[in-house]
Amino acid sequence: MKAIRSNRVFSAIAVATALVVGGPAFAFTACQVTDTGGIDDNSFNQTAWKGVQDAIEDFGIEGRFLESTAETDYEANINSLIDGACDIIVTVGFLLGDATRDAALANPDQPFSIVDFAYDPEIPNVLGQVYATDQAAFLAGYLAAGMTETKIVGTFGGINIPPVTIFMDGFVKGVEHWNAAKDDAVEVLGWNLEDREGLFTNNFDNLDDGRAFAQNLYDEGADIVLPVAGPVGLGSATLADELGIDQLKIIGVDADLYFTDTERQHVYLTSITKRMDATVRAVIEATMKGEFEGGLLVGTLENGGVGLAPFHDMDGLVPDDLKAELEALRVGIIDGSISVSD
Amino acid sequence: MSVLLDKARQRQTRITGAVLIALGVLIAVFFAPDAAGSATFRLSRPNDVWPVPNLVVPGGAFIYVVSALLVFLGARQFARGAARWSSLSLGVGLAIAVAAFLVWATVGKSFSLSGMLQASLVRAVPIALGGLAGVLSERVAVVNIGIEGMLLAGAFTGALVGSLAGGVAGLLAAVAVGGVFGFVLAALVVTYRMDQIIAGVFINLFVLGLTSYISSQVFQEYRALNNAPVFRAIEIPFLSDIPVIGPVFFNQNLFVYGAFILAGLATYYLFHTRLGLRARAVGEHPRAADTLGINVYRTRFVNVTVAGMVAGFGGAWFTLGSVGRFDEGMTGGRGFIGLAAMIFGRWHPVGALLAALVFGFADSLQQKLALLRTPIPSEFLAMAPYIATIIVVAGVVGRARAPAADGKPYVKE
Repeated sequence: MKAIRSNRVFSAIAVATALVVGGPAFAFTACQVTDTGGIDDNSFNQTAWKGVQDAIEDFGIEGRFLESTAETDYEANINSLIDGACDIIVTVGFLLGDATRDAALANPDQPFSIVDFAYDPEIPNVLGQVYATDQAAFLAGYLAAGMTETKIVGTFGGINIPPVTIFMDGFVKGVEHWNAAKDDAVEVLGWNLEDREGLFTNNFDNLDDGRAFAQNLYDEGADIVLPVAGPVGLGSATLADELGIDQLKIIGVDADLYFTDTERQHVYLTSITKRMDATVRAVIEATMKGEFEGGLLVGTLENGGVGLAPFHDMDGLVPDDLKAELEALRVGIIDGSISVSD
Repeated sequence: MSVLLDKARQRQTRITGAVLIALGVLIAVFFAPDAAGSATFRLSRPNDVWPVPNLVVPGGAFIYVVSALLVFLGARQFARGAARWSSLSLGVGLAIAVAAFLVWATVGKSFSLSGMLQASLVRAVPIALGGLAGVLSERVAVVNIGIEGMLLAGAFTGALVGSLAGGVAGLLAAVAVGGVFGFVLAALVVTYRMDQIIAGVFINLFVLGLTSYISSQVFQEYRALNNAPVFRAIEIPFLSDIPVIGPVFFNQNLFVYGAFILAGLATYYLFHTRLGLRARAVGEHPRAADTLGINVYRTRFVNVTVAGMVAGFGGAWFTLGSVGRFDEGMTGGRGFIGLAAMIFGRWHPVGALLAALVFGFADSLQQKLALLRTPIPSEFLAMAPYIATIIVVAGVVGRARAPAADGKPYVKE
């Protein structure tokens, strides 16, 4: 860990303050445990929580969340919900994998669903929600390679774990696909496919890391940066805002950041969306109908679980040819004629 | 007594010498074989007024020169027991060893050296200001664990007031709120003689809980409250055009200049004014100070409150000086690293600033190394700042002494 995880000590008070106090009794209660970074991170936790909020609106259920401010909170947060009459407990994040498994095995009658984790073997009362984000990131990489003027693009991650690096994998492969198709030599800084090492902030909290890391990539010539670090990427957006979008553009992750980071929406070339809100809502709906089943739910380009957001303000900057090629790639990935994994 | 001391010093010098020789040999053995080719360091950025050619260093030759220098320095220490130069030799030795490492990592590639140095300064700011706040309060014998909370409070206030009333108002409010928490800490530990560690932890917990709550409940709904302007870099005319040094030192935002100015002011105050002398007397021997008519309680109140204001200023850097918005726990433990910088800087403002710069340098170095694809895992690189600090502190700084009454409440008789 790069930074001292000081906030560990604070977990107790944060739990107390973050608990949304329940009102009248509802027929169905969906509970959520977030990863670190806060429920308001404009990206990962917030998107998953939006799934619960959508379910509240559509089905009139009750929703509750507990924020994890440190990795030591996971187990305590899940356990405190088990006594809380939750009809389903949604845990958000790869790092909650072990804590969720332990709680699920200890409470076989409690339905769980975890975002970003697949268990092998499957646990009967846990439904894993995973996303083929590399499919969408592949498109983003191809787009970035087609848009860069310096012929250098950059990326950095939060922590070197699969749900983060899958974005970076797809991004690099997309750039390589462009290089092969156009006989070009666009370089990606920050992630190396072979030795699986790259640029990582080692946290999802320090927004100023996002700015510093983007500045580092910019100094080395990158004019498009993909931060895969939840709210930390918002710091990168501030830098792009200051430098101007002709100098630096940002590709968002998880949500369409054009809508969630509205203050700096003009710096986003596009976003690699991971529709956790859609899958979380679907899981709640299935559970309400008594159709809950353990196993795996995979979000893909085909079922809309992952996707590339519109270019919004930058639509005019993206050449029509490139748009057409991206659409062809999308179709190719869906029908399997283009592989994003080799 | 003096014979014993001499012997201990001689042994230390011998160890320093041996370490330097070992370092020189290791560098020659491990780095030189892979260092065929040259390393390129970019010194100027595209928009510089006077572009400077890149610094191209021939890898193998440079590493052999460094290695020879290290062995020479080490042998000199070992043979002559020149205790007077021991710290200096180790400092110089470590610096050139880091340079050799950088050259080795960069052979056949290039990176922006001026960008890295500029980032070092930027990243050092919150740590330096946190450390400075620590110096100011510990010099009057109040241990300030609450710096992290004060930074966070400054960051939060800066974002909130900055969004509503502009950057300058946000900055002033952040300083004021920092001062309030300093005053609260002083009240708890001076007036009510609460345990100083517990009082500081209380401030950290309180600020984290409160700001996280408001951030998730209020900022979510009212986004305009969390959209503060960012202070841009101020170019100092002429000076900022100097190659390399210009962009690093004279094209930064007001927080960077502020950290340097405050470190200078604090040094002047503590060591060259009557008030500063009194403050230090209160930290070393409050009973004696009291006997001489110094108001111990008031001195502690004033200094700890000012320390809080410095921390509030440092906290505002996170929002008004960097990213323009607040997010839960965004200070990420920098207050605690600031405390470490204070100790490494021997409770001296300039020392704390230099220690913070070492942290900042190691931090930006680690980022560059990650891009250079050295065969070192990124997690190890992330540890680099802390390992560097431990080496520097243990070897160069030596034993540090806290103010004698540090952490002890004073009861007036």
